[in-house]
Amino acid sequence: MKLALATTAAAAALLFTGCATKNDARYVDSQGPQTIVSLDRINIQDWNNAADRLVASLLASGVLERAPEQPAVMAVSRIRNNTQQQVDTDSLTKKIRVALNQTGKVVTTTTLGPDGRVEDQMAADVGAMQAFMAGEKQKTVLPYYTLSGKLLEDRVRSGNTQQVTYTFQLSLTTTRNGLAVWEDEQLITKQGQRSSVGW
Amino acid sequence: MKLLLATTALAAALLAGGCATSVNTVSRAQPTATPDYVADQRVITDSTLARKVAIVSVNQSTVSNNLLKIQVTLENRSSKPQAFTYKFDWIAQDGMELSGPTGGWKQVQLQGREVRAVSAIAPTPAAADFRLKLREN
Repeated sequence: MKLALATTAAAAALLFTGCATKNDARYVDSQGPQTIVSLDRINIQDWNNAADRLVASLLASGVLERAPEQPAVMAVSRIRNNTQQQVDTDSLTKKIRVALNQTGKVVTTTTLGPDGRVEDQMAADVGAMQAFMAGEKQKTVLPYYTLSGKLLEDRVRSGNTQQVTYTFQLSLTTTRNGLAVWEDEQLITKQGQRSSVGW
Repeated sequence: MKLLLATTALAAALLAGGCATSVNTVSRAQPTATPDYVADQRVITDSTLARKVAIVSVNQSTVSNNLLKIQVTLENRSSKPQAFTYKFDWIAQDGMELSGPTGGWKQVQLQGREVRAVSAIAPTPAAADFRLKLREN
């Protein structure tokens, strides 16, 4: 009888507490402190922090108010990836675009891109067709600013400790005269022996 | 034997606390800056963190014509480095919380006795109020 009671109690305890293991998949807040930190790649919190600081720097500079028309029209130019990893630079630029768009200071054109690569080909085609049907020349709103940049990576090791620094560089150029009116870079450095959860 | 014990105790003390260094600072005797201080209310749920990191002041300004910027000055009260995370929430005039693509928890590390400000710019001109959350790592 005692054995049966003990077994039941143990089973109940397992049911309540013991079943969940650390390796079970679970949802975590994408912007929360439980995200994984790795030394071999740029993590979502790195993109997030870099974009946040760069947007704050751009807004605080006051250059966006200098555009003759508000909101300022911006196009995203080339973002060079000089890191060892293959990344989609939209991880940075899209966050910046969304953040600037939310402020009401900037709108981004999606029908102009670097090397003729248009982000939204359909919008460009429909615009051309509308102009053709109306017997007019297509009116393209040219960007007042372009955003360009570079991603860099620096790795160093001391004993078992690795350190990686990712540098996010951005420039905002006035298309009329080709002058960079705002530039900034943000560094994110991570150090450790292996990847971990947390900040 | 006593000498051995004393040496061991000294070595342990050095190991445990000997690496802590604090920050010396110098600034203008009569500051010329005139910050726009914000009267704040504080809710302490982690008294350990509150003892380690003090909120010195909160001040505000406006950037880009209509975006609220908040700066919170923090002080590490201990002589050891303290790492913690913080997050700004933004609240519209109607009390609704606003979200942005780049919000979220961010890490900051204060050296011993260091005073440093953390700041954020509101994601939209609609932001009227803010809330700063601090969390120990």
